Amino acid sequence: MLHFRTEGFNGSAVKYSPFFDNRLAVAASANFGLVGNGRLYFLELTPNGIVPLKWYTTQDSLYDLAWSEIHENQVLTASGDGSIKLFDCTINEFPVQAWKEHSREVLSVHWNLVAKDRFCSSSWDGTVKIWSAQRKQSLLTLPTYSCTYSAAFSPHNPDILSCVTSDSHVRLFDLRAPDSASGHPAMIPIHGSTSAFVPGTLGSSAKQTIVPPSECLTHDWNKYRPSILATAGVDRTVRTFDIRAPQQGPLSVMPGHDYAIRKLAWSPHRSDLLLTASYDMTCRVWSDRSDMLVKDGDLMRTGPIGPTMGSELGRMGHHTEFVMGVDWCLFGSEGWCASVGWDESLLVWDVRAFVK
Amino acid sequence: MSPAAQQRLSQVASHFMPRPTKGVSTLVEKHPDDIVVTCALRTAITKGGKGGFKDTAAADLLAGVLKGIILGSSIDPALVGDIAVGSVLPPGGGATEFRGAALVAGIPETAAVKSLNRQCSSGLQAVVDIANEIKAGVIDVGIGAGVESMSLQYGPGAVTEFSELLDNHMEAANCKVPMGVLSEQMAKDRNIARTDQDQFAASSYQKAVKAQKEGLFNEEIVPLQVKWTDPKTNEEKIITVSADDSIRDGVTPESLSKIRPAFAKDGSIHAGNSSQVSDGAAAVLLMRRSTAERLGQKIIGKYVTASVVGVKPLLMGIGPWKAIPVALEKAGISKEDVDIYEINEAFASQCVWCIKGLGLPFEKINPKGGAIAFGHPLGCTGSRQVSTLLTELKRTDKKIGVTSMCVGTGMGMAAVWVAE
Repeated sequence: MLHFRTEGFNGSAVKYSPFFDNRLAVAASANFGLVGNGRLYFLELTPNGIVPLKWYTTQDSLYDLAWSEIHENQVLTASGDGSIKLFDCTINEFPVQAWKEHSREVLSVHWNLVAKDRFCSSSWDGTVKIWSAQRKQSLLTLPTYSCTYSAAFSPHNPDILSCVTSDSHVRLFDLRAPDSASGHPAMIPIHGSTSAFVPGTLGSSAKQTIVPPSECLTHDWNKYRPSILATAGVDRTVRTFDIRAPQQGPLSVMPGHDYAIRKLAWSPHRSDLLLTASYDMTCRVWSDRSDMLVKDGDLMRTGPIGPTMGSELGRMGHHTEFVMGVDWCLFGSEGWCASVGWDESLLVWDVRAFVK
Repeated sequence: MSPAAQQRLSQVASHFMPRPTKGVSTLVEKHPDDIVVTCALRTAITKGGKGGFKDTAAADLLAGVLKGIILGSSIDPALVGDIAVGSVLPPGGGATEFRGAALVAGIPETAAVKSLNRQCSSGLQAVVDIANEIKAGVIDVGIGAGVESMSLQYGPGAVTEFSELLDNHMEAANCKVPMGVLSEQMAKDRNIARTDQDQFAASSYQKAVKAQKEGLFNEEIVPLQVKWTDPKTNEEKIITVSADDSIRDGVTPESLSKIRPAFAKDGSIHAGNSSQVSDGAAAVLLMRRSTAERLGQKIIGKYVTASVVGVKPLLMGIGPWKAIPVALEKAGISKEDVDIYEINEAFASQCVWCIKGLGLPFEKINPKGGAIAFGHPLGCTGSRQVSTLLTELKRTDKKIGVTSMCVGTGMGMAAVWVAE
């Protein structure tokens, strides 16, 4: 396990470069992101450990970052003052571009993996915005009416965008459909519509009870199954959904974290594997047990079948404070990942070492 | 703090919704901030006025059991932040001599000592107080203890005369009705048959005899060397007391049925189906789980929660019946989830009534016997139950236990424990 101390700054997000297998970026904030400066680190993995390539100190806290998909030296940051900035690690001190439209904290930024000239942002101001790096103003503003913790483009379709909010819903925007783009997205109630499923053990019939809605803090699109995404948040539970059957409840459910889950990331290498970071100071690896699901997988036809209970494969407990960010390495042997937390630590580790 | 920072803080705080605290699986989870027990020991409990400790001061018993805790756990005594000692009879609450006892036991002057009195639950209250101090961050490591020398301190001097004001208030005046008298009345009012009481009392003796023969108490008893005057020869000897000396073999419901009632001619309560007058001390070493792990202390159990309730002074015997459901509710478990109940046997009558009232199976109650068989040194009992419970849970490979007792003047206490 490699360690780097973001001294004086509490980590909020970490991302591996999509271009270099040894490059990472970390977004961090002084005073736990409550008040004070932010800092963006460009870091390199070297035989001598993790070495900072460059860092930038910003006026306000940083809550998220995204690597540019078209420029290997550039990273976007989401800032507490409502701004989004683009930093280039070959240029000292100042960002190469900045956008300021959000009226409150920007909580996530995400670059479109297909249409690489676009990225999106989500904010506490109750909007998701779509941007082009070439333009000064946003291309589109999508209202969510509630604090939006995470927004992401589908990795399979450049025009589909999802976000999760404090109102316990996933919103799906299809930018090609006029009413969706004008603010009438498809909605998936994460806690269940009238009732939600409490998972029994595998194969047992699902018992239905009401689960109260709770803030959803993070979500991610599966990299192999285009219709699957996973959500997690304050209720400590990871759920996966098939966007083709939004009202039929979760496909699989993974309870186990002791406190809210702050970040989740699907594996770039295996379709059933995901990683979570939680306020309970652990990172956990899960399999959603999609191998147990109906093979033909068409929920529209089979109807609700009750969720599968995913399984926790392992946990990493080396952080000593809330873990806020986690990301998989895209390159090399499958299983390397990085996590950051409020303990001012970036840890780079191999998931396989923690699998039971 | 600026409004924005305040809002950001509230947002993070809102991410912590209350954990569901229901069920055994939640209860047995391990968290760094759990309050855990790493050592729970007691002295032998001996017959009041006759037994091994009849000439030993309460403070000496306390010093002995505190020494036992330090040796048994190998804790650095300088880490102990506070010691709470429950005791009912000593004048002045025992505050002065208990501080002395802690120093004798080798605990440095940096550790604070307090004495407290919640009648028969004082020992449990002491443990709960220490757990709460740790929970609140006042101290990191503490000892909850209980001690009583009924041989030396039982008597009228232990209660202050009631003022006219109190005497003229009916419910207040009820507080000084002697325990035996009110329990006799309660047994009559609630139709607790003498045969049921004798049956329960005899089984307490039989379980204790069996447990003692199998050596089940050895693990929890600290042997003490004390001076003892032989009543026949008046000769002072040094003896080692390492076993309860009031457990009688061969007690049956039939043999108990012959004993004359003690409090009323037509009564049902007698010496054989009430708790014995005795001497003893017990102590429990508590700390946060994270502290225990850092210090390499062996965790034997977890303190979960406790309840304290009030009942009518004349019905003090129903205390456990009222306190246990409150503690279980707080712990988020049902009565069936509990593997062992240690309910103090003040009187067989009230204990039987509580067990039946709660609908508990008799097999789960006091599996090694109780105060009827080996005695009830008032302040000691609450801490004594912890060692008795945790050793038995571990031996039988069970998890969840409850300790409880009725409390004079009309109260009840209960605590929930998990063995690890």
